[in-house]
Parts: sequence; structure tokens; C-alpha cells
Amino acid sequence: MNKLLLSGNEALAYGAYEAGLQVACAYPGTPSTEILESLAKFKDLDVQWSVNEKVAFEVALGAAVGGVRSLFACKHVGLNVAMDPLMTSSYTGIQAGFVVIVCDDPGMHSSQNEQDTRWVSIYAKLPLLEPSSPREAKEYVKEAFKISERYDTPVLLRMTTRISHTKEDVTCGERKVPEQPAFEKRISKYVMVPGNAYARHILIEKRLKKLKSLSERTRLNRIEKGDKKVGFITSSITYQYLKENYPDASYLKLGMTYPFCDDKIREFAKGIKKLYVVEELDPFLEEHVKTLGIKFSAKDPSFRIGELTPESMPAIVAGKVKREKKSAKRKPRMCPGCPHLHTFSILKKLDFFVAGDIGCYTLACLPPIAALHSCICMGAGVTFNEGWRKAVPKAKIVGVVGDSTFIHSGITGLINAVYNKAKGIIFILDNSTTAMTGGQQHPATGLTIRNEPTKKLILEDLCRACGADNVDVVDPKNHAEFEKLARNRIKEDALSVIISRHPCQLLKR
Amino acid sequence: MVYNITFGGVGGQGILKASEICSWAAMFDGFHVKKSEVHGMAQRGGSVESHVRFGKQVYSPLIVIGGADYLVCFHSEEHERLKAFLKPGGKDLIGYLDKAKAVIENPRHLNTLLVGVLSASLPVSTDSWMKAMETVFKKKIVEENKGVFLKGREMGQS
Repeated sequence: MNKLLLSGNEALAYGAYEAGLQVACAYPGTPSTEILESLAKFKDLDVQWSVNEKVAFEVALGAAVGGVRSLFACKHVGLNVAMDPLMTSSYTGIQAGFVVIVCDDPGMHSSQNEQDTRWVSIYAKLPLLEPSSPREAKEYVKEAFKISERYDTPVLLRMTTRISHTKEDVTCGERKVPEQPAFEKRISKYVMVPGNAYARHILIEKRLKKLKSLSERTRLNRIEKGDKKVGFITSSITYQYLKENYPDASYLKLGMTYPFCDDKIREFAKGIKKLYVVEELDPFLEEHVKTLGIKFSAKDPSFRIGELTPESMPAIVAGKVKREKKSAKRKPRMCPGCPHLHTFSILKKLDFFVAGDIGCYTLACLPPIAALHSCICMGAGVTFNEGWRKAVPKAKIVGVVGDSTFIHSGITGLINAVYNKAKGIIFILDNSTTAMTGGQQHPATGLTIRNEPTKKLILEDLCRACGADNVDVVDPKNHAEFEKLARNRIKEDALSVIISRHPCQLLKR
Repeated sequence: MVYNITFGGVGGQGILKASEICSWAAMFDGFHVKKSEVHGMAQRGGSVESHVRFGKQVYSPLIVIGGADYLVCFHSEEHERLKAFLKPGGKDLIGYLDKAKAVIENPRHLNTLLVGVLSASLPVSTDSWMKAMETVFKKKIVEENKGVFLKGREMGQS
């Protein structure tokens, strides 16, 4: 037994390690990145940065189906990329425990939207655990592996930025690896053709019933008896904020939020005079408790926007509308000497319409540069170039994408552009790292998550193989050469790739 | 009783390290500790704020406006915004910022010095502060940081 100060993400890594985890896969994404970084420090684990979330999910699921405890970790929008295998993994189930960790970002500290991933549990018919602190994160991930194996299901474990990045003193223990089951060919379980899938769907509905019964009796859903005048049904970080404000109230603290524990909710509600359902983001619990015909108060819809804070609680309880105030905080910007600054100063000078993407360079949308004109998701810099050109054929349109992002989901867009005869310039802003999330390795750095050498992906060769008409590599600090090249390529009736290559300044540290 | 300390400044000033030392030290003394901040874009020069709370039991990892017993501000321009965190009667260490800057030889020591100043007001043993620095710093800079810390502690005691 050993006490450590751990972040929520680190606590997940320690919990998974103690639970006998063997394989973990992810693509970096704030606020989830440190889960894999922490796991990589355990040398006896098989841990990888995958090319994207879909790939990561499939590799980890494959390992779990093969018979070892595995996990996949991502940020909320990362789960969107992995939705295809996720939905069907609910049908196949697993052989050894499989935990899907997803970190939501209420308040969008570092994201393009604030989707509430809890809805996925209903949609995919998967159990959902919601820890409210690092200590619980460690406990819940161990519980998740048990549930996964007992009920033959992937388990969703949902964090938020606040819990992922809060540090708390956590007790760590011994690692126990469960015995590995025999590897068997099980066609009806793992080949999801319609007939097999139909049979599996029957089992899913049975599984949901059993999971509901677990939800009713698990200690993860606990009633804390206090003052009966005021009671709260809550989950996640909101529980902590409420306890801070109303230490004497009664609580139904939900740790296993889906399937819903209807009987426990009814039992709790019966004895309470004034009942509240309080949660961050969407009315996930609220909508369900409503269906039970229970009377309660909940937050004004204006509080569905943004992160809640301990200060929000009295306002929510009083039924107030959220007051939007302007933050006096300094905004992030590109670092001095950043190679992207050079690239974008030239793109601005040339007055291009720039289809953007997710990465440090997204900050080029801010004044005084303001030379990036769209940002939807990873890879969309490449495909928006094609789409915009269909709408406005005569405009000077280009697309930008990062090196890690290009590998994540830009390659398919480039092939699509070649195949469908799109023109223009795709700039790959190659700073030789996944910079925005703190500098993780990827296939084109030639190093693994543990900085071990591996085969290096050569971006220029790949782009040529995809069929780009021109592929040039240029250093953005060489302004004259860069500008001349861009001026020439934009005039050509061709699809050109310009790899703007200069390493991130932070790599030198 | 829960002790509430707000650390703040801008990215790259070692604020997270400072709150880290404080949290480990409190933990070594047997307190329940929660520390919260948001990284992500901080590295890009944005505001950095770190909250440390310790006591017998801590619920919220965030300190409310008007809830901090101590404010450790690393950047004078951020002080205007951050001072709202202080409780009436809470202790503001902003007066030590210029003094601290004048004393240190290496600007990277600012965080350790300010933690030293803060330590003079907290119920945490010197042993635990030392152990915290051994945990947080790389081996070769532990000793120099202990020296800087003690200088700060003295400053805070006088």
C-alpha cells in the first residue's frame, strides 16, 4: 500500500494496472492524453499511440476478444471517430475485460464542442460509470473490468476535464493479472452478419435487464441519508460541488448512471420534501427521472452550457438563469518562434481562403493573423478544400492539416480529392510532433510512445503514392521560397501538396 | 478546517510545480488533498490558475470566488483578476513577488521561493516540504531548490 498524489487520468492508469490490464490504445487528445502516458510508464504493459481513435478502439477490442484485459481512452470527440466499432462491440461482447474511457470537456477548455457522451450509453446499450474524483476513478476502473467480464460487455467510463486533471491523494496496491481464457474460434459471437447479430441483439436486451438489476444493488449508487427537507440526485463532479454547498442534505450519488436504478431513485425520492436533479451539461438524468413521474427541480437550461463550478450550485438551486460573463483570462496564442506563425503570415499575405483543422495552428484564426477560416474536426482541412471549391470555383482556396492530423484522418481526404479530380493546395504543417496535446510521437516521427525507434512514415512518399500532382517540401522560415512556391501552385490546374516542415520549438526543450 | 490556496500567473512560470509541491507536502502530513487546474492550452501563454485545498475531508477541487485563505500570484498583471479569490482577511502574497524576484539568481526558482514564503503560514512540517521537493524535482536540482525554499520560508516568517 502506497499513497501517491495522482490526477484522475493517472489514477485510471494505476487502477487499470492493478486490475491486470495488458493492452491500452489511444490517440492523444486533451483532456485524456495522460491516461496512456501514465500507462506507458508501466514497462510490462503493451501500450500504443494509435493512428486514430477508430484504429485504437479496434486494436484494444481485438486484444480483449483475444483474452487479455484491455482499454481504449479518448476525448469526447475522439469517441465519435470510434463510434463504428463501438456500436458493434456492444453486440460481440468480449472475452476479457474491455473498458472504454471517454473524457468530456465541459466548458471546452481545449475542444471544438461540448457534447455529453453519456447519451452514448443509451444509444450503444452499454453500462456507464461516472467517477467524481481521482480516488473514485481508480476504484471505478477496477469495477469496470469486473462488470465487463461478468456481463460480457464493453464498459463506458466517463470522465470530465475537471476530474481528469484534479489531483488527489490516492492509495495504490498490488497488481493482479487474471488467468487468460483459451483462444477459441467463436463465429456466432464475433462475426456480425445479420443472423448472428440478431441473436446477439436478443442477448443485449437480456444483458440490459441484468445490468439494471446490478445498478439497483451496486454500492456505486448510494443513498446518503441527511436532512430530508432537501435531497439531490447527482453524479460526477457535481456531487462534490453540491456537498461543498449543502453538506447536510440527502443524496442519491450515482456512480453507475446507466442503466438507471429506477427503484433506488423512487425509494430515495419518496422521503424527500424538495428534490433536485443536478448534473453538468445535458439533462441526462433529468429526462429519465421525469419518465418515472417523480416531481423535482432541475437547473435552468442556460446552465447546460459550459462547465459548472461550486459557485453555480446556489444559483441552480434557486432556479436562476445563468449569467454569462466575459472572462478576463489571457487567451492562448501560438508560441513566439512557432513555425506555424511563419506559414500563416505568408498565407495571409497571399489572401487565401484557408480551410482549417484541429491543432496548434487553429489559433491562427485569432487576430492579428486571422488567416484560418474553418475548423470542424480532424482531417476536415483537406476535405473542406474540395467542398469549398465546388461552391466557389474561382476563389483562392487551400486546405491545411497538421502532420499528426494528416495521418489521423487526412490521408483518406487526400485520396478522395485525387480520385474526384479536386484541385488546390493542401499544406501539411509538419512540426514533427503532436504539438497541441504536449508533443506525442506519431508514425512520421519514427518513434513509439516509449520513444523507441520504429519504421518512420515518409509523408512526401505517401502523398505521391496517393496521387497528388505535386509534392514539395519547404521550410516556412524560408519566406521567399515558400511564397513563390505557393503563388505558382495556386495558379496551376493541379492538386498540390506542400509540406511545410519545421520542428515545433517546444521539442528543443 | 480546509486550507484553500490559489496559485496564479501565466504559462511557463512554474505555477503547476508550485501547487504540486504544496499538495505533496500536505499529503505527506496526512491531509486529504485536492488540487485542480486545467492544462491543455496553458502552454500557449494563457492564464494559469491552480487551486490547492487540503484538510480532513475535501469535496470540491475548486476554490470559490472569495474562498481562498492564501493567494500566491506570480504575475502582477494577473493579480487584478485573481484577487477576487481571496477571502475577507485572507493572506495575499503579492507583496513578496518583487522581493522574491530580487532575491533569486535563477528566474526558474521563483516558484520554489514563493512556496517557501507560503510554507511559513501553513500547518505542514518542514520534513514533508523537503520530501515533497524530493518527489517533484529531478534529483540534480533538489538541493538547490531546498536552499531556495528555505530562503523563502525565512522571508515568510519575518
